[in-house]
Amino acid sequence: MYISAASTISHHPTFRNKGFSSQLRELDPASELIRPDYSDYIPAMERRRMSDVQKMSIACSLDCMQQAGIGQPDAIIVGTSMGCCVNIRSFLDKILSANGGPLSPTSFIVSTHNTVAGQIALLLKNHGYNMTHTQNSLSFEQALMDAMLGIKEGFQHVLVGGADEEEQSLYNMRAKLNIEQLHPVSGASFFILSGDHGGSEGVNLLDAGSYGLIDSITDCTEHFLLSGGQSAKDIGLVLYAVNDKKGMAELNSIFRREQLFDYQIVAGTSFTNSAFAMHYGIDMLLDGSNPGLREHKKILICNNVIPENLGLILLAA
Amino acid sequence: MEDLKYELKRQIIEELKLEDIKPEDIQDDAPLIGDGLGLDSIDALELVVLLEKYHGVKIMDEEIGKKVLTSINTMADFIVEEKAKAT
Amino acid sequence: MKIFVTGIGIVTAIGLDAEENLNSLGSLTTGISRSNSSGLMLGEVKLSNEELMKKFQLPAEDYSRTSLLGLLAATEAWANNKIDKIIRTGIISSTSVGGMDRTEKYYFDARKNGIANSSLMTHCNGRTTERIAARLGISGYIGTVSTACSSGANAIMQGARLMEGNKLDRVIAGGSEPLADFDIKGFSSLGIYDNAICKPFDDNRMGLNLGEGAAFLVLENEYSISISNNKPICMLAGWGNATDAFHQTASSPDGKGAALAMTNAMVKSGITVDKIDYVNAHGTGTGNNDLSESMAFKSVFGNNLPAFSSTKGFTGHTLAAAGAIEAVYCVQAIQKQTVLPNLNFTTPMKETGMKPATGFQRANIEFVLSNSFGFGGNCTSLIFQKA
Repeated sequence: MYISAASTISHHPTFRNKGFSSQLRELDPASELIRPDYSDYIPAMERRRMSDVQKMSIACSLDCMQQAGIGQPDAIIVGTSMGCCVNIRSFLDKILSANGGPLSPTSFIVSTHNTVAGQIALLLKNHGYNMTHTQNSLSFEQALMDAMLGIKEGFQHVLVGGADEEEQSLYNMRAKLNIEQLHPVSGASFFILSGDHGGSEGVNLLDAGSYGLIDSITDCTEHFLLSGGQSAKDIGLVLYAVNDKKGMAELNSIFRREQLFDYQIVAGTSFTNSAFAMHYGIDMLLDGSNPGLREHKKILICNNVIPENLGLILLAA
Repeated sequence: MEDLKYELKRQIIEELKLEDIKPEDIQDDAPLIGDGLGLDSIDALELVVLLEKYHGVKIMDEEIGKKVLTSINTMADFIVEEKAKAT
Repeated sequence: MKIFVTGIGIVTAIGLDAEENLNSLGSLTTGISRSNSSGLMLGEVKLSNEELMKKFQLPAEDYSRTSLLGLLAATEAWANNKIDKIIRTGIISSTSVGGMDRTEKYYFDARKNGIANSSLMTHCNGRTTERIAARLGISGYIGTVSTACSSGANAIMQGARLMEGNKLDRVIAGGSEPLADFDIKGFSSLGIYDNAICKPFDDNRMGLNLGEGAAFLVLENEYSISISNNKPICMLAGWGNATDAFHQTASSPDGKGAALAMTNAMVKSGITVDKIDYVNAHGTGTGNNDLSESMAFKSVFGNNLPAFSSTKGFTGHTLAAAGAIEAVYCVQAIQKQTVLPNLNFTTPMKETGMKPATGFQRANIEFVLSNSFGFGGNCTSLIFQKA
């Protein structure tokens, strides 16, 4: 399945910056989200109720639609682990400060996890299939699997993305994963997945997989590659996120050191930034300058951010 | 009364997060919901909360709400009337 | 591919399992009552967290009510199924607020008393699904969807699509939602809360009541059944999802998204409109939903509206769990060959004159349509068929 468009807003200058992969450096811990001028994408009356996760997603989605030259996608699918947590926190604060008095409803109505996908549809006046996946660090991979099912079922173009905003008062990632050195980030990456590449050269999504409560990433990875007729040596580059010693040892046993790159170094940590890694991989494949990709133009994204979950995405040029 | 109307405009802009709008841009008799300022049903609920929170007056039902929330003028008149009843 | 329902599990304000729920439906007994703490009419499950933890012999570690209710319903549905390497099994659950019952408690504590218990906040939606998966021994595809009030129906639809897409042979799918202050205050702030028990489709309806609960279905394909030897209860014939794209919370006057979802489901099932014998409506009791849904009925069914009802007068609106709870009720409607009753209906809406079924009426039920519509304009319809 063909990837007709890709767009990312992150802590790096990735938005509308084709070729960003060759410019990426290690993430500065003090970095912040680089926001475009959202007024270019979202009217003021709609924008005023939105938190970052909604604004980023809409901007990336509109950018994707423009890149792919399509009017309406057949489906809009979002993976988000925390959803609109700024609005959730805002409503909780309002409950506290209202103290039994009159309560303002606005942050409540834009607090459901599917507000992102819903707002994109509302802005586009899109009546198609609309879904939101919220399975921790597997949210984006499940959104991708859903998109692939949709293409098989007959959708022509699916808008699919992963987005999360960092909000540590509701979910302390460092405490939950018990790792102090993590750099939690906000970000959104959206793509148009198409059934037909219309003759253009580009990058294909070969497969996506989601494995929860696993014992071994080796078994899952080998099964994933085998079912697609691939093997570890066919992979030019493995972009990985692994936070524990066991996972790292397994990864080193499956792949050679030269194949491996830790994407958390550039991307930071979020439960949906395997979507960032996917765009990063696409950009590298299109750029073609990475020596690791000269012989085998395939990238495997291995998302093991939470040790008992494994998300896998396979791209090929 | 003019101070009250200005205050209402300021509060509406702040509570409803109306960027790029200043109190001077809102006409006293311009429609608030739908046409004019272009507010929606959720904004209407926010205006009800605003009236109670900042002016201590309650809108008791939807019919009254529709009349009161028509414009700055009708909102200001309602506040003045309700406060007079209370004293 | 034929998709069979081989297991159901449910816990709501009207019963702690499938049999109790069915008895309450049959005896027209609502589970909605006035809550002591909030003063609002709520559909509370008559089991405390402590009782649930004791039942599952859970350790002192914090479990959200979402997980506890989910465990109860999922274990009933799963029954004697076993995990093996031959049947590819997955779980898809759904929730709107995840473990919000705990999150809000610790958040309020932290804000008021400065206690930094953020690690105890169970905000992550996927956690409940993982708890249930671990309990049942499921690994591999463990997923959660969250589309507000259409979530439970979407979880079931996702399960079916993964089976049709040859990813899974057997799925346990459904949803779980607790009563949390977050939702109670949220819906009250929207001014759509009825101070009495809700009156779906009635001209004098005043709004919804919230409820809590959980429900799951076990879906299997023919291959899975050939190994599990489970008896099919009925089939999931089709599904449809569409977006209203009118407003973040309000439904469109013509019910466009709802009509599209229903039509898509019938197309997927390969049936014509006249084949539907009963519709379990979304029917929340709000002015907006019930009118919008009725307009959608009009545009889809024309003058041939089948028997329909909302069961939310029994359970309250259970948000994400609603689609799954009502899916179980649809399965039971087929099992018992009956239309389900709509409580508290007296006067048809002046705009439509439509009258829902008000009794537990025996009928020839082959196809049942179930509607669930959520914030964000998300509309889903499922169609169940007698096996």
